[in-house]
Amino acid sequence: MIYLYLFWEFFKIGMFSFGGGYATIPFLYHISQVYNWYTLDELTQMVAVASITPGPVGINVATYAGMKSAGIFGSALATIAEMLPSLFLVIIVSKLLRKFSDNFYVKSLIQTLKPISCGLLTSVAIGLLKPEIHDIKALVLIGAMLIFSWKSKRDPLFYILIAAIIGVLSALAGKTGLFSLLAS
Amino acid sequence: MSLFELFLIFTKIGAILLGGGYVILPIMINEFVDKRKLVSHDDIVDYFALAQSLPGIIAANMSMFIGYKLRGKWGAVTAMLGVTFMPFWCIVLLASIIGSLTENSYIQGALWGVGAAVIALIVLTVREMWQKSQRGIFFYTIFILTLLALLIFKLSPIQTILLFSLIGVGYKRIAEAKK
Repeated sequence: MIYLYLFWEFFKIGMFSFGGGYATIPFLYHISQVYNWYTLDELTQMVAVASITPGPVGINVATYAGMKSAGIFGSALATIAEMLPSLFLVIIVSKLLRKFSDNFYVKSLIQTLKPISCGLLTSVAIGLLKPEIHDIKALVLIGAMLIFSWKSKRDPLFYILIAAIIGVLSALAGKTGLFSLLAS
Repeated sequence: MSLFELFLIFTKIGAILLGGGYVILPIMINEFVDKRKLVSHDDIVDYFALAQSLPGIIAANMSMFIGYKLRGKWGAVTAMLGVTFMPFWCIVLLASIIGSLTENSYIQGALWGVGAAVIALIVLTVREMWQKSQRGIFFYTIFILTLLALLIFKLSPIQTILLFSLIGVGYKRIAEAKK
């Protein structure tokens, strides 16, 4: 039964997400709240791993979510389900090509989807920030990364690696009592 | 070109594809225009624009367009399977070992940092989408309504998309008729 839900949820993601791999996050966020397939913490973990491994982020994260939900068969199912709508559309659009992108409804739909995608992702950012409110260290780290790259966004890899190193250092500092030493 | 060859080319592309969806354009140009001369430069740029305007994952859409161009329907299927082949096994492997690693306090530290980085990345992605859009009253209105629908009225992403796509396209249609 879980396979059926898994297929349907990821088919919908493939059908309704516009604008790159991170545009799938709002749907994954929604899934984490409706089903008990993975937690919010695991979702950020999934996005991070998907961003630093080769391959399209949106596909990787589907593979990972499928694996979390229903093992290796689940991950194959989620990956394929997410690409199926595009497969049909690509085949249809390839035949129409120019007619497609000049169509009035297609053009208006794309213009409408841009602000919708921005809104979807903003709501996820708000949802993920809420539980971090009490973690001052995390807020400082997020703030620093935003200020540092407000002008131009770098490769996702860069942020994730730097943040991982900072995280390890802070665990190290906590263990050796470096902070308490400095404070005394 | 045989389907097997096509599969191998896309397997390679999937394996070297790192970072956001936008790195796919230079990789595809290098592979199919410069090296193999199978697709024209104009076609590739067209596919890139189309891949972004279709739903789904940009890199996968673009692979399928090229696959279709070279070998029809089965070419598109082959490209789809090829480009995800290596990433798939990579993720399956990582996902199955990561659980046993999270006991370690250093790994926990790293994951804590990574969680913060993902939030920052999402905010930066919003900013990037924001900058790339033509922003007028139409954009701001739909954006704010979307946020309200999600945060206050707790609509699901798909309900929100369907509702505002209808409203947006309907509005454009009326505006067009008035001209």
